[in-house]
Amino acid sequence: MSENIMTDMRSAYSKALIDAGKEFPDVVVLGADTTDSLKTSGFGKAFPDRFFNVGIAEGNLVSISAGMAASGKTSFASTYAIFLPGRAVDQIRNGIAYPTPQGRRGLNVKLVVSHGGLSVGPDGGSHQQIEDIAIMRVIPNFRVFIPADTLAVSKLTHLMAKEYGPFYMRMARPKTALVHSESQEFQSGKGILVRDGSDCTIAACGITVKMALEAAEQLHQEGISCRVLDMFSVKPIDGIILEKAARETGHIITCEEHNILGGLGSAISESVSESYPVPIKRIGVQDAFGESARDDEIPHLLEKHGITSFNMAKQAKKLRNHTQ
Amino acid sequence: MGLNYYQIKKNVQSARKLVIRATNAAGSGHPGGSFSMAEILGCLFYKHMRYDPKNPNWEERDRLVLSKGHAAPGLYSSMAVAGYFPDHELDTLRKLGSRLQGHPDLKCPGVEFCGGSLGTGLSYSIGIALAGKIDCKDHRIYTIIGDGESDEGQIWEAAMTAAKYKTDNLTVFLDRNFIQQDSYTEKIMPLDENLLGDDLAEMWKDASRWKTGDKWRAFGWNVIEIDGHRIEQIDAAIKKAKSTKNIPTIIISRTIKGKAVEHMEDNPQWHGKAPSSDVMPMIYAELESQFMIAPSIIAGDMTNLENEVKRCATGRADYIHLDVMDGKFVPNKTFDYIKIKELRPLTVIPFDTHLMIDEPVKYIREYADAGSDIITVHAEVCEESSFGEIHDWLKQNQVGVGLAINPDTEIPKWAYKFIPSLDQLIVMSVVPGKSGQKYIESTHEKMRRIIPILTEQKFAGCIEADGGVTLENVSACFADGARAFVGGSAIIGKQDVRDAIREFRGIILQERRKLLLEKANNLGGAELVKKWIELHVIGQKQEQIKKIAEEARYI
Repeated sequence: MSENIMTDMRSAYSKALIDAGKEFPDVVVLGADTTDSLKTSGFGKAFPDRFFNVGIAEGNLVSISAGMAASGKTSFASTYAIFLPGRAVDQIRNGIAYPTPQGRRGLNVKLVVSHGGLSVGPDGGSHQQIEDIAIMRVIPNFRVFIPADTLAVSKLTHLMAKEYGPFYMRMARPKTALVHSESQEFQSGKGILVRDGSDCTIAACGITVKMALEAAEQLHQEGISCRVLDMFSVKPIDGIILEKAARETGHIITCEEHNILGGLGSAISESVSESYPVPIKRIGVQDAFGESARDDEIPHLLEKHGITSFNMAKQAKKLRNHTQ
Repeated sequence: MGLNYYQIKKNVQSARKLVIRATNAAGSGHPGGSFSMAEILGCLFYKHMRYDPKNPNWEERDRLVLSKGHAAPGLYSSMAVAGYFPDHELDTLRKLGSRLQGHPDLKCPGVEFCGGSLGTGLSYSIGIALAGKIDCKDHRIYTIIGDGESDEGQIWEAAMTAAKYKTDNLTVFLDRNFIQQDSYTEKIMPLDENLLGDDLAEMWKDASRWKTGDKWRAFGWNVIEIDGHRIEQIDAAIKKAKSTKNIPTIIISRTIKGKAVEHMEDNPQWHGKAPSSDVMPMIYAELESQFMIAPSIIAGDMTNLENEVKRCATGRADYIHLDVMDGKFVPNKTFDYIKIKELRPLTVIPFDTHLMIDEPVKYIREYADAGSDIITVHAEVCEESSFGEIHDWLKQNQVGVGLAINPDTEIPKWAYKFIPSLDQLIVMSVVPGKSGQKYIESTHEKMRRIIPILTEQKFAGCIEADGGVTLENVSACFADGARAFVGGSAIIGKQDVRDAIREFRGIILQERRKLLLEKANNLGGAELVKKWIELHVIGQKQEQIKKIAEEARYI
């Protein structure tokens, strides 16, 4: 774990796509006038015949991807988060998730977006997609991934290229520190124990996993043993790892840069309330919209919504006192 | 499948009947938009598309994407006729556990696209087309979009994309039926120009007001505009689209919502409503009694047959009847296959070639190659083996097969075995040989004799009345059971062929209305007759039908 190196998720995605393109000849990549930003244009240079830019037309992007998948292609369609679930939900639902070709569940389309959550920064509230997990989670047949670092991005891109079915993967705009080691394996529906602990659990996804690790370190200084879970697979959610955490640590803090309604916190609450109910505190955007923040102000924007390691530690202690 | 014109027409009729059956059984559904695209689906399923119902996922198959997914009953019915599933499965439409979902769904093998949410099917088709290009496949993609559906912005996103990527393996049909859920398209969101009054006919009269084609041309498409109920025009357009390279093709098909059932035609109410059980027998009878007008050009200027063909085309004839006489079987001589070959490029209207020649078996290939769509030979100059040869060869080469009998000839016994697969039977009502003779009255009696034989032998073709057919006797011919009418001097002899044909159609239509009212009266008395009349709400139909019912004392 080289904690201080910050890497870019989109570059990792770009490289992983080219690798997937070499390994799987059926992989095609589609974009909607954001291919330089998403860095999918690299795939276009490597495989010009398998790369399509359909212009600023996201519904079109999704439906064309679906049509290609119906003809045996593995479609990767990418643009900003705000323009996919936020704009083309009908095409996603009826065009990708609903069809059952030869009994299979959904068409083989991977929607990979960047600029999820508040950390989009300067573009402001109109571009900060804080509803996508909720939207994508309720569409049957879709699997939803929120990778915490570039390593997860690479490995999940490979997984999606290999595994049949509709996926949604949300990347963050800022560079991120690595939280996983090179040997870490990623499986759909399997949460990752990134730090063990016995007094409390913080379950996070995306850029908040790193914050959770920092919170755990703070708690450790105060003599509290905090477990940290990377719940990158929001759907399917890993009920086993959650039940174990509930049973062994007694309560769970969730954290995400998404509306607290319908996101990771909701998914975890749903699972734990049925398996081993314990108190849960959800940290996230408090059902409000974001706003512009310069890159160096993004931590402050997140802080406004309580998305900080300090708040995670604080809530953990509060919940712990409450339950003891 | 590669069927001939007549078989396609027959299959389209079967498919329409299944739409009625299915929507009635479901109690809901969309018959109107299913009927407007019935001929388009007919040409695709029974002639142009490459597919295997037993292996619906065959990789080399052509793909049909029904973007206007609400017309699902039309798609399923055509698929049933094509052999994907048995007819009775249509009874499960829209019911729990059925493969036939309310909107097309991949749950049903052979369906290529989950329709229902409008505006997305064209983009999806582009995806299929691009995948085909990547894989260097030669299959084609046919997509049907609606005119109401064209309100969706994504249609135009897709239009740009297809032009950018030169998807010439994609052919789109716009089912231009002028009606969407709330009202006429030109009232809700005009594709052409605003509809000024309430009468759709207004839009049909003035082609200068049609702007839809201009829109697509401006988007970089190859645009073909046709009458979407004319099989020959659809067929020709598909062929043109296939041979057009580097540019996608849209075939703007002017159609009639609810086409072929008078009370549904052009009636926005039938966008999404199911017919009730009590009126189904009349609807079936109506579908079974579609009729065709075939002007005979030898009644015109024999020195300028080219012009006569053009007059038939502008007159909107259904077929052009070509009387070939050899001076042996009949005393006169007219023309032969060389002339037919010369006339063929002038129009796509089917050539209904009537060979009044000796030993037709010797020349059948020449007449087929010249471009005949159906060839009728005389029973008097055939026997079982020679007619068998003609029959088999024509069927194999997608040409319709007809048999003709002279006024003093009965259907020979040897011909019975061919009756089920005959496309046409001509019962001559004059002694063949020249134009302008008077109708032989005893033909009516002969028809009454022949019909039971045909029914018993499972005749599924069309009876053509040929010889002395006029405005005065055409209703009687229709009542006898004829469904195609050759008009010599009564049509071609007239100054205005279009007017003459319109008049013929009007009279036959009245006779058909009478037939349907009689059926309603027999089945449900005055109450059903009234109900049937009340269904006809568009234009002047109701008053006209009511008058017929009153004259017949049904009400």
